[in-house]
Amino acid sequence: MKIPLHLAKKEALHAIGIDPFPEAERQARALSLIDDYRKFARSLTVMLETCTRCGACAKACHSYLGTDDFYNIPAARAGLFRKIFSRYFTLPGRVLGRLVGAGDFDAETLGTWMEYFYQCNICRRCAVFCPFGIDTGEIVIAARHILTQLGLAPGFMVNIARNELTTGNNSGILKPAIMDSCEFLEAELKEETGLDIKIPVDKPHSDVLYVPSSSELFTNSDTMLGAAKIFHHLGSNWTLSSTLLEAANYGFLFDLDIMKKHNRRIRIAAAAVGAGLVIQGECGHGWRVARMCTEGANGPVTFRMEHILDFAADNLSKLSIAKLPLRATLHDPCNYGRAAGLIDSPRKIMKACVTEFVEMSPNRERNFCCGGGSGLLMDEMKDIRMRLGKMKAAQIRELLPLDYVALPCASCKAQVPLLLKHYGMEEVYTGGVIDLIGRAMVMDRK
Amino acid sequence: MELFVCRILPYFAFATFLIGTTVRVAGWLRSPVPFHLTLFPVRKNRTGRAVSVASEFLLCRSLFREDKLLWLGVWLFHVALVMVAAGHVLGITFLRDQFTLVGVNASASKELSLILGGATGSIITVSLCALLCRRIVNANVRRLSEPDNFFELLLLLAVALTGILMYVPGFHADLPAVKAFMAGIISLQPIPIPHNTPFVIHFLLVNLFLLYFPFSRLLHSAGFFVNRVMLVEVPPIYPTPVGNTPRSAFATKILHPDIPVSKNRAVEREADRL
Repeated sequence: MKIPLHLAKKEALHAIGIDPFPEAERQARALSLIDDYRKFARSLTVMLETCTRCGACAKACHSYLGTDDFYNIPAARAGLFRKIFSRYFTLPGRVLGRLVGAGDFDAETLGTWMEYFYQCNICRRCAVFCPFGIDTGEIVIAARHILTQLGLAPGFMVNIARNELTTGNNSGILKPAIMDSCEFLEAELKEETGLDIKIPVDKPHSDVLYVPSSSELFTNSDTMLGAAKIFHHLGSNWTLSSTLLEAANYGFLFDLDIMKKHNRRIRIAAAAVGAGLVIQGECGHGWRVARMCTEGANGPVTFRMEHILDFAADNLSKLSIAKLPLRATLHDPCNYGRAAGLIDSPRKIMKACVTEFVEMSPNRERNFCCGGGSGLLMDEMKDIRMRLGKMKAAQIRELLPLDYVALPCASCKAQVPLLLKHYGMEEVYTGGVIDLIGRAMVMDRK
Repeated sequence: MELFVCRILPYFAFATFLIGTTVRVAGWLRSPVPFHLTLFPVRKNRTGRAVSVASEFLLCRSLFREDKLLWLGVWLFHVALVMVAAGHVLGITFLRDQFTLVGVNASASKELSLILGGATGSIITVSLCALLCRRIVNANVRRLSEPDNFFELLLLLAVALTGILMYVPGFHADLPAVKAFMAGIISLQPIPIPHNTPFVIHFLLVNLFLLYFPFSRLLHSAGFFVNRVMLVEVPPIYPTPVGNTPRSAFATKILHPDIPVSKNRAVEREADRL
């Protein structure tokens, strides 16, 4: 299935430090990049070579179930990489060629790579059901990284990475705009609660650095309001950093060097404000990178790092909460459940905040991805994304009538409302888990 | 020919099997695991993690959750394979007298050997046929399959069938002679091979299997552990405990240019200091 991905222009690639390769040299360069990557990460070779092509992953993958395209079966998707790997890096592939599934690198190779490695949400669900635990996401990350080094990357993701590198957030907002937004949100909090709840930026001598998703200053501002109320109520000495207003780390999804650079900023920003605790906001892959990759990407960490959902769940008894009269469900972002083990805290919070909490089925580490993960939020991919989200829509439909779907991840927050509209369920409200706490908290007017 | 089959091939095949497998696995292990790949939920203590890998290994729990029918075929096949392997070791050592060790009389031990051997042989054949059928009938799996997938199944099937044939009247192998031949090979004093067609083919196919193993997808048996161990790694703890060594060169690699973050002096000073 062709996908309408808009590729990044040369200038945009230059801005993130990529020098695109002329087409004639791409093959040789691609092979040397594969060679580098297999020495860089064990997972690539083991996962490519252990697959027995049993096909058990087909029914586990929302991408295949939603598109019905053979190459969206995880084993077939990985097969596009395995074919080349086998041909150039293994003895049987070199000698026996097609008999062992090896195939030449040809004019179509990179095109099919772009197509199918950008229809995977890196959700790791295949790894849960594979008898060997093969995580096709690992192969997709490798392939996308290699494609980017060759100069093949979606313009959308390149622009976001460029924003992350130059401004420290995906939206590309600079400090004056950040200050403005925070003032606006503070005014909103004042109006709502009558309290002077601050949203500090770059405040020196802070104990806590809160790293939100930059969308919390605009589209998902309810999440920021909720977070501010929690910190205020608990008396936390917290701040935002104008240099790292982004939990997301798009580099993880297409260029690991960029991931390393953006990730390094966590320690720089924490040290700049003197924070001993970094709290990451509602962002799926952002939390996976922060929790699982910070040590691997930039070495030992000297501060504590927590997710705001764990932080809120631990302090739940101190927040005075009055249950909201809602029938609500929770979507487990893939990067929380399977990839970072953040499973119980959001449930604990949901049960405390709403009168009727219902579980999706399947849930927790077996939950289906919403189809918006791994950076596929570009407009041109909307139709494909609606198909990737088919399983999620079906899961939500089973729970109707429903008031609220809690989506503790910025990508899910962007994708699921579109899904609900597309599949005729626009009456259901969506938002974060922290948003719910914010709305359920009873604030003292002093 | 006799010299090659009896004195060279078995040793060459076994050495290839051992060395080849070791080299392949060592090749995997040579590359680092730059980031934690823990697949949650994961048990907190060491024993718990070992138990989860072991239960996955013995029961294929992930597959059971997804596809019960495939699980049945796969599980029966592998269990029968292990039993057949054990049966061969016992058979070559005790020649059907093994059960006398647990207090059964000699004729009952022979009978028990025959029944168990016959049962596992049948299970292996039937489960292999089922797996082969699945590869052919299921359209997706057929498309996923490469010629080597079929070759592996057919090779194993041929090994199983020739093994069973040795018990069929008319093809009967002289078992004491076979035992003596195998014992000769194992004790490094090879003797001529018994002239029984099913046995000769069976023997040659097993050698082919050993030669083929390290270069093929049959290595999934070793890949299982290398992969699963990555997935049950203890997730990182922050602050990082003192004494943790960098996971890979990537952690200490310096990337340039580190684009200036902002005009905030404090931040830049901090960036320089780090």
